Amino acid sequence: MATDQENGIYTQASDATEGPKTQEMLLNMGPQHPSTHGVLRLVMALEGETVVNCTPVIGYLHRGIEKILENRPIMGGIRYMDNADYLSPMLNETAYAGAVEQAMGIEPPRRAQYMRLLTNELQRIASHLVAVGTYLLDLGAFTPVLWCFRDREGILSLFEALAGSRFNVNYMRVGGVLHDFPKGWLSECTAFLDQLDKNLIELEQLITGNEIFEVRTQGVGYIGAQQAAAYGLTGPMLRASGINWDLRVDRPYMAYREVPVNVQVRHEGDCFARYKVRVQEVYESIRLCRVAIDKMPGGPICTRTPIALRPPRGETYFAVESSKGELGVYFISDGSEYPWRAKLRGPSFVNLQILPELLRGYKMSDVVAIMGSLDIVLGEVDR
Amino acid sequence: MSTMLLADNVWWTQLLNGIFSWAFLQFLVAFLSIFGFIMTSAMILILAERKVMGWMQDRTGPLHTGPWGLLQTVADVGKLLLKEDIHVVMSDKILFLLAPSVFMAPVIASFAVLPFSPYIAIPGTALATGIVYYVAMSSIDIVGVMMAGWSSNNKYSLIGGLRSAAQMISYELPLVLALVSVVMLTSALANDGIGTISLLQIQQYQNSWMKTGNGVLDFLFEGFTPWSWFFLIQPLMLVIYYTCGLAETNRAPFDLPEAESELVAGYLTEYSGMRWALFFLGEYGNMTIVSAIATYLFLGGFSGPGVAYLTGLNNIGWGLAGNLLAMGYFTLKVYLLCFVFIWIRSTLPRLRADQLMQFAWLILMPVTLGNILLTGLLYLLLEGVPSWLFLVVTGIVNWAMLFGFIWLVGRVTVASTRRAQSPAVRARHYASPASTVQLRDGVPTQAVPLPAGTEAASGLK
Repeated sequence: MATDQENGIYTQASDATEGPKTQEMLLNMGPQHPSTHGVLRLVMALEGETVVNCTPVIGYLHRGIEKILENRPIMGGIRYMDNADYLSPMLNETAYAGAVEQAMGIEPPRRAQYMRLLTNELQRIASHLVAVGTYLLDLGAFTPVLWCFRDREGILSLFEALAGSRFNVNYMRVGGVLHDFPKGWLSECTAFLDQLDKNLIELEQLITGNEIFEVRTQGVGYIGAQQAAAYGLTGPMLRASGINWDLRVDRPYMAYREVPVNVQVRHEGDCFARYKVRVQEVYESIRLCRVAIDKMPGGPICTRTPIALRPPRGETYFAVESSKGELGVYFISDGSEYPWRAKLRGPSFVNLQILPELLRGYKMSDVVAIMGSLDIVLGEVDR
Repeated sequence: MSTMLLADNVWWTQLLNGIFSWAFLQFLVAFLSIFGFIMTSAMILILAERKVMGWMQDRTGPLHTGPWGLLQTVADVGKLLLKEDIHVVMSDKILFLLAPSVFMAPVIASFAVLPFSPYIAIPGTALATGIVYYVAMSSIDIVGVMMAGWSSNNKYSLIGGLRSAAQMISYELPLVLALVSVVMLTSALANDGIGTISLLQIQQYQNSWMKTGNGVLDFLFEGFTPWSWFFLIQPLMLVIYYTCGLAETNRAPFDLPEAESELVAGYLTEYSGMRWALFFLGEYGNMTIVSAIATYLFLGGFSGPGVAYLTGLNNIGWGLAGNLLAMGYFTLKVYLLCFVFIWIRSTLPRLRADQLMQFAWLILMPVTLGNILLTGLLYLLLEGVPSWLFLVVTGIVNWAMLFGFIWLVGRVTVASTRRAQSPAVRARHYASPASTVQLRDGVPTQAVPLPAGTEAASGLK
């Protein structure tokens, strides 16, 4: 046992191994590295190829989004929420708009709620497709990522037709949404979902039964149910460890109070289970999208709100089930049109905490396998 | 005698006799075509890889340089030649500069044993010891990779180099053992019981046709008998040889030394410009060689309809046509195998280092050794029967082994993953109802308004 005080990194020499010991190697993985999903830096102590210790260093993508939100009128802040988890802007906006609505006591019209559900589920599909594709890219398979991005492109095109922008959609408004569907959008969406169903089956045929994929992921990065709950994991990470917890079911918000969701749970708690939960959730989201299209009510898409939104003084917490887990906004208002504080509870940030615990003792090749299965987005970790 | 030689062969007569000889012309043609083949083949393969992978991945691949993107590789090479050659300051300079050449040279040297057609081959020299020479050359590659990994003074490079050394050495053994069984087949086919390790002769053993006198049949099948190619008799060995070839050339799914997502670019990390391109060229050259050796040993080499017939006519024009035809067949078969390389790359994920080693030492080694033993036993048991019967029996046994091998790999996968998942299974099995996690707490979803007149606890004004 030794503590390397100079580097501030706790290193542990393995007492069990006999014979000559090699020197531990300190390896900086990132922030410029192909598979750290952005600019995460991992300081790893390696013994051979075995990870002895790992310290994630974050903050390379810090843009001060929470501080920016405090300095923008509430409507202006919605646009900045796009950049937090840049793979699921619709979900971020829903969380922020929902928090303000909850603080002001506004209930969006029923049509707006269903439009939010539809766009949220499409966004969840897009985010999970990126997660699955880049995960396979981390494991060395080249094709799935391109197939996934091809399918995600369809969703982004739909968003472009709907909101005018592919990526930073700026679509949600306090009290509803910005635009109604353009003509023919819903039928286009249905056609896309049918095609996506076929493509997903093809994707699964390529990946799921593959022996190499199975030996790389099954049993790797095991998180027990108790441990997952203790670390505060949410989303697919938690559900892959056998805990049936989904905010859409357990604290239903908006249209989810009317549309039941089948929560996908697996009990293995390893990387394969996390991958599988994500794929199953894509199927489930496709089903939810179809339900939303079928049940899409008429009526206004937005309630009338004052131009300057002044939520009453008070605090509120509103959380949506984002693609990565519980995405919450803790909203404090002092009665002015600027939020006094808008704290984001990001699922990526919380899920990342378990990484050093998970990596210890695994080989270096497993580092990317485990890290990819966490599905973190550094834009939201650093905010 | 010696005085005669000295008197007759003064240096210019020797030189003239050497240069204006049939053998020298043959050497020159062979050398130029081999060297040209390596260079052009690498360029074509790089383009083919990008196009084929683009096709498999539902995208177009390079499209803008030249018609249909055909000049993309030319542009790439031009760029690489003009790029600055960056050296790392703290690197071991001599090794760093030498490593690409050490990697590239054996690749070019290996081509010396490859006959491209009945006449285009470097004559005499290494042909008789084809397989041994090839194996020796392919193991020198490791030195270049090790040098690059060590001298770059980069941790990723070092790990990549070490991984690569371990991998190439491990897979060299089953690769050679897979080839041994082919040599054993030739010794069973030979009249005197002595086999051969020459690639040309192994190819001839696969294509023995008795002249029937029927012109059409003779034209088609003289020197081309696909029913007796060794991939039908030893299919498992082809699969294992090809797998080891993937590992030897550091191609996916065995591309751990240059695993992009883990080691950035492995031993290539610090290289740029033409030195990097030499490694790349070497890799694609290696790919061609592995495919070429597999072509000779299992797919009947350059044989094809018409080759032996045309070259046997003793007519220069028809002989040339036969040679060109042979090169065409050979290139076709080699690129077919290279296509499988690309196909595999775009399909499979990467193995882990320890799983890679286990696969080589615990599965491939015993299987290839067992196959050698089995072939020898069959040879002993079936002594005296006609050779076609021996081939049929060996073929049946080996096809059964192939399916057994596939079943074995599947079983090993299932067993190992089940063992790896055992903590989850155990935790679920022994979980008592009391320890199940309770998360549902019935938190209201509506905002709870603060009582009027009270200040929030968070210190609002």
